[in-house]
Amino acid sequence: MDLKDFIAPFAVWKRAFEKPFTVRKPIDERPGAPRYRGFHMNDADACVGCGTCEAICMNKAIDMVPVAGRDPEDGDSGLRPRVDYGRCCWCALCVDICPSGSLSMSNEYVWIDKDPDVFRYVPGVESKPWDGSPLGYRRADGYRLLDEDRVPMPETGPAEAVASFLELVKGYSRAQAEKEADRCVSCGLCIASCPAHMDIPGYIKAVRDGDMEEGLRLLYDTNPFPEACGRVCTHLCEDACSIGSAGDPVAIRWLKRYIADQVELSDYAKALPRAAAPTGRKVAIVGAGPGGLSAAYYLAMLGYGVTVFEKDEAAGGMLRFGIPEYRLPYPALDKDIGYIESLGVGISRGVSIGKDIPLAKLRKDYDAVYLSTGLPLAYRLEVPGDGHPRVLDGVAVLAAATRGEELGLGGRVAVIGGGNVAMDAARTALRHGARVDILYRRREEDMPADAEEIREAKAEGARLVEKAIPLEVRDAEGAPAGKAAVFVWNEAAMVQKEAGKRPVPEPIPGAVREERYDSIIAAIGQGPDLSYVAEADGVPTRRFKPVVDADGMASSGQAGGAAVFAGGDFVNDRKDAISAIADGHRAALGIDRLLGGKGA
Amino acid sequence: MDASTFAAALDLALGREKAAVAFYRELTAMASFAAQRATLAEFMAMEEGHVAMISGMRSRGGVSLSPTAAVDLGLAAGLDAEEEPTAGMTFQDILVAAIKKEERSGDLYGRLEAAAADPEASAVFHRLAAEESRHRRYFEELYESEIAKDN
Repeated sequence: MDLKDFIAPFAVWKRAFEKPFTVRKPIDERPGAPRYRGFHMNDADACVGCGTCEAICMNKAIDMVPVAGRDPEDGDSGLRPRVDYGRCCWCALCVDICPSGSLSMSNEYVWIDKDPDVFRYVPGVESKPWDGSPLGYRRADGYRLLDEDRVPMPETGPAEAVASFLELVKGYSRAQAEKEADRCVSCGLCIASCPAHMDIPGYIKAVRDGDMEEGLRLLYDTNPFPEACGRVCTHLCEDACSIGSAGDPVAIRWLKRYIADQVELSDYAKALPRAAAPTGRKVAIVGAGPGGLSAAYYLAMLGYGVTVFEKDEAAGGMLRFGIPEYRLPYPALDKDIGYIESLGVGISRGVSIGKDIPLAKLRKDYDAVYLSTGLPLAYRLEVPGDGHPRVLDGVAVLAAATRGEELGLGGRVAVIGGGNVAMDAARTALRHGARVDILYRRREEDMPADAEEIREAKAEGARLVEKAIPLEVRDAEGAPAGKAAVFVWNEAAMVQKEAGKRPVPEPIPGAVREERYDSIIAAIGQGPDLSYVAEADGVPTRRFKPVVDADGMASSGQAGGAAVFAGGDFVNDRKDAISAIADGHRAALGIDRLLGGKGA
Repeated sequence: MDASTFAAALDLALGREKAAVAFYRELTAMASFAAQRATLAEFMAMEEGHVAMISGMRSRGGVSLSPTAAVDLGLAAGLDAEEEPTAGMTFQDILVAAIKKEERSGDLYGRLEAAAADPEASAVFHRLAAEESRHRRYFEELYESEIAKDN
């Protein structure tokens, strides 16, 4: 023992007379390693609130919570992950799986506070000292737990495609469908964006599980047109898909088609629920398009006797007469319609309400009436000469093609417009051997047609003339009167005239162009035919649209006669098949409530 | 401002607005179904509102209209107005008629503004022309969103 050993206890004793204190950091500054998995960071703007991080966290350390200033919208739940550091084990699986790549971890690991509740916070929303830290854990480039590439869909090439009206998209094999279904993280963002709110994660899981009957049942819960929508749906769901935030969205539309294709119509009844017992009530539906037949299906399932009145000789509406068979083959559409008819829904084809039967009679003879007559009238170009015999209406051209009529378009065709009708008309003309120009007033990126339709039309040989303002149509010189026409347009420049509004095409002085065509197909837009609705029917309209309530009801029937509901393209703003189908479903439930059904 | 000049300018505007009401009344008489009549009634009510507004300005002795013209989308000039609306008129027909009517009124006020010797009368016509341009713009936007969606 030396002197130091003797003194040491007294040195400790002196502490007994000091004021107690806490050492804030018991150790020296020791920064985390550059790729240390420290506290989370989240780019809240890039995050889509899909909750995949929450789903994968084995410790239940992540909750998706609403945050101020972020409302749900298509493709974003509005929720953001909140991390509980009493549970987090810092494994970084959440970072590795994050579809948008918004989540990362700083290399900060020291956080001292007396309040235990603060160790649970929303990264990227609640400000923290490590926000924006350049160090920490990031998912390495090229390292993905999720497959960001869609399983390619086998399709006919453009050169072969224009030679026939055979379906372009061949459909997935079982292996392809299951592989594609495996890409889905079941976040459900797609459900909110689908107008019909289909259970998309549910039926994709059915594909993964190989349970087609369950898949079909889930499809029919909200959509009785799976064959048609599996081919031509506008697939808003895919725009919202969280996988699409950093890769290809899941091919939801093709997976829907896969399910429907796998089940024979004769087996549908085994897979799908039976209709309720008859209520003894009757409903009339005007228009056998997707909206009218959707209402018919759900009403039949609820036990109503349903008769659909269709002015054309075949059911399907724009799905049949507005979409060419290379996109939607008639047997596929017939399968959807066939199942609806098999439930006892009567379709009176070739009967025009307003001409053959007044609407008032339907209101007298039925317990409720649903109107879903779409947009059958093509709008004119509204330029001098638009009444020239070679100026054709795009919808009429497509309908004539469906009926197998001789189109007589000639060798040079102009299509005016940038929507899906224009693309379908152009591609139909190409299949009839014409050289086709598509003239559009604005730029390609402004075109309302689906991007894939534009791409395919161009690949098949259509020439796109952008920024072409129609000026005039006149008879072509040297051709017999009315047999060919000259289309005159003014080249335009896009001018940003007002902040916050889209640019306006402004004619370039002197840049007037003209071209001779055998046919000019006008496809600038369509409107409703409401000539069959009289004031006495009590259906309010505003600017040629029936005004409906949240159930789709336009008239309660107080004015004498049955209540009138309305939906589909001539009511909603989306003007696509899936929105019409959703409207039909909504109206069926509304009619059931009105008539005192079980759901009332 | 000279009262008679001011009154004359507004009398002229009042006459134009009353003519617009009569225009829609005439189309309504021609209409054959409910949706046409509902749309025409709405547009006629707008014009009746303008009649009331100008009458109010006349009795108050002051013009409360913005002098700022709406941005010209260039749509009206390109529309063909040769065809007169018929009993089967569509929403497109009605909107084209409305746009061309507003365009004609705007042009007239523009000419009157240029011709007016009195600078205050000229200013009144300027404001009336600007007001018509806003009406035209309103219908043009409707046309873009409801009719020529794919154009």
